Amino acid sequence: MSAPPNPTGAAGRRLAALAEGWRVYRADRGGLFGLAVLSLVVVLALLAPVLTPPAELDVTRAGGAPLRPPSAENWLGTDESGRSVLLLTWWGARMSLLVGLSAAVLSMLIGTVVGLVAAHFGGWVSTLLLRLTDFFLVLPALVLAIALSTVLSRGVLTIVLAIGVTSWPQTARLVRAQTLTVETRPYIERARALGGGHRHLLGKHVLPAVLPLVFATTTLTVASAIIAESTLSFLGLGDPAMISWGSMLKSAMDTGAVTAGAWWYLLPPGLGIAVVVLSFTLCGRVLETVLNPRLRGERR
Amino acid sequence: MTPILRLDGVSVTYRGEDGPHRAVVDANLTLRPGATLGLAGESGCGKTSLALAVLRLLPRSARVDGTILLDGHDIERLTWGELRAARWTSASVVFQGAMHALNPVRTVAEQIAEPIRLHSPERPAAARVRARVTELLEQVELPGARRDAYPHELSGGQRQRVMIAMALACDPRLIIADEPTTALDVVVQAQVLALLRRLVSERGIALLMISHDLSVLAASCRCLGVMYRGRLVEEGPARQLVATPEHEHTRALAAAFPTIGDEGSRYPGAGEPGESAGGVRGSLLAAEGVSVEFGDRYRNRVRAVRDVDLEVMGDEILALVGQSGSGKTTLARTLLGLCPPNAGTVYYEGRPLATSGRELRAFRGSVQLVLQDPTGALNPKHTVYEAVAEGLRVHGCADDEAVRVREALEAAELRPAEEFTARFPHELSGGQRQRVVIAGALVLRPRVLVADEPVASLDATVRGEILALLLRLRRERGLSALVITHDLGLAWNIADRVAVMRSGEIVETGPVERVLTEPRHDYTKELLAAVPSFEGSVS
Repeated sequence: MSAPPNPTGAAGRRLAALAEGWRVYRADRGGLFGLAVLSLVVVLALLAPVLTPPAELDVTRAGGAPLRPPSAENWLGTDESGRSVLLLTWWGARMSLLVGLSAAVLSMLIGTVVGLVAAHFGGWVSTLLLRLTDFFLVLPALVLAIALSTVLSRGVLTIVLAIGVTSWPQTARLVRAQTLTVETRPYIERARALGGGHRHLLGKHVLPAVLPLVFATTTLTVASAIIAESTLSFLGLGDPAMISWGSMLKSAMDTGAVTAGAWWYLLPPGLGIAVVVLSFTLCGRVLETVLNPRLRGERR
Repeated sequence: MTPILRLDGVSVTYRGEDGPHRAVVDANLTLRPGATLGLAGESGCGKTSLALAVLRLLPRSARVDGTILLDGHDIERLTWGELRAARWTSASVVFQGAMHALNPVRTVAEQIAEPIRLHSPERPAAARVRARVTELLEQVELPGARRDAYPHELSGGQRQRVMIAMALACDPRLIIADEPTTALDVVVQAQVLALLRRLVSERGIALLMISHDLSVLAASCRCLGVMYRGRLVEEGPARQLVATPEHEHTRALAAAFPTIGDEGSRYPGAGEPGESAGGVRGSLLAAEGVSVEFGDRYRNRVRAVRDVDLEVMGDEILALVGQSGSGKTTLARTLLGLCPPNAGTVYYEGRPLATSGRELRAFRGSVQLVLQDPTGALNPKHTVYEAVAEGLRVHGCADDEAVRVREALEAAELRPAEEFTARFPHELSGGQRQRVVIAGALVLRPRVLVADEPVASLDATVRGEILALLLRLRRERGLSALVITHDLGLAWNIADRVAVMRSGEIVETGPVERVLTEPRHDYTKELLAAVPSFEGSVS
């Protein structure tokens, strides 16, 4: 007798909305390309321990001669210790993706919380948080990241922290602007008149409206986080025991691969960074157009 | 004499994603020089499409069939250059919403001069343009000193005058005015309409005026046309059409603009105490000496509400009327506890309003808000069920949620409730959305409903239904209501008592029959005089 919330109906509509989003996404070739490349890279990175022998990464057990150009045996040549560059690049993808994703998630969390709180509460809270955001915004991110990774112990966590802490201000600004817009809508006033507290307003109305935007930005942040990770590793601030694309480039520099003309040692990690960053950017752009219909006409 | 405008079997069709949509179907019109025609109709009836088709201003997705003769020329055959010349010199447009139609970074004098410069064969002398702009400003009764003002420095009525001055700039023979007074309040509306009337009669310009408000048209046009779903359903002299409407849609439009003082315009049950009265007859919600101040961006203190006493009794509908900016909404927000007063106290059932979270929340369960724009008042991502249940969830009464949501929806006349629960707001009509908002308020079983312009954004036919619903809720549930409105006709329709507000002060309070028929305060008289009425129509 009583009217049930009819979950199938609502869920069905949401599914339909999702399908519509996918239809728009699919129409963009660049986005599809990015998605395909990313899926391939992620699957390969995840399967690396299964498909390749980790022992080959051990310098003491490396089979080949040092700094050999590509051959039938080592498709992408060898590094200064005789390890296969193909294998190194393959394993380096794991580290780059891991650091890129976790740093982006960290920056998204900080940025969203700061942006929401600053916009919702206003007053001195907002002033304080915005000045803090401005401070981080004008600070040269690389210098801060270097300072952080020298103070903290070296390692993956430090790099993630250093990148996350320096890349959140853009997200915070964006979330604040969006929150301010959403909060002027009459349904916020209505929820307030119904007796809803801050948690209800933020959780039920503001956050769901802001989240799509946050996801789109995060995809773009991943790209810059991967670059930041490579930069920091290249500067020698990463964990020396872990292989990443940045640390590969660093050892190539250190061991004179550049002067020796060992292009096969430099190109794979460099191209890896370029391709993954490009794919994330492509996906992020298309995701933005899917979530913000106003951009659709212009980008086609 | 050739007619200035002739429409012969004009249809406008929009190409849409779900097939073609016919906005205007087979419209025939003739407008002679000096004639005035008002086109009335609800939103989406095609009246704006028809008007824009005259100057070929429609978007590319629109196709126009039939012939439109402007000054004897078929506008479909005009070359681009001829069309540009025709725009503004033969016919000009006063657009809806003067704030958005004016360029915010240029002074009004520059903007009025723009069409003059564009339509002169050679570059006109600066002094001549200047003189012409001054002349135009005089004609629309704007002081010459305002010529160097930017649009944001002008009031709504002044901006609308600037728009009219722009329309007059090239001495057109036809002016198309699209909802010229919609965003203005009654007093300013009356001034703008008087200005248009004077210009039309002095200069023999033809006027095609579009509005959803039949009384505005009747007050300024000799002939009226009523559009319904793209068709011109009725046409005739204003007086006759209003007095003896033939089409039922015309009747609905006319009924939405009641004649104040006419007993027949009072809704049945208005002004009579309810039978099943929920109990108390005494004061439910009251403000005593309430003042509210805001700091504007220049750190000046603005007193939005000054020392106001107001009482909402049990089982009554109180209308709070006033012009925009008079502080009515601020007072309502203060009564709801959404905006703390700087002085004075708000009482609910004789007790001062709590300031702590828990008691305030309990209070908000019994005094509920209905907002002006139902489209904005519903979160587009929530279903009807979620929107109505929101209040219950906030107040933690989750036990019989589904039953209470259903009851509330049926009380708001959304029947059968099951059909609506899973829908999203964008799938509903404007009237249905407002009913959902009302259901969302009713679900908490409130004692008082504060409704801020509850029908201002709704069409004429829906307006009557929502007002009848408010009355029925009072009769059956003893639900008191504080209705905030700029529309004196609405107060006459349903209210028991009226409070008139000006610049933050209540200037007159009393029973509707007394205040609206024998006003004592000058301001009330001024408001009443400004209400467009059919008696004032040009004959």
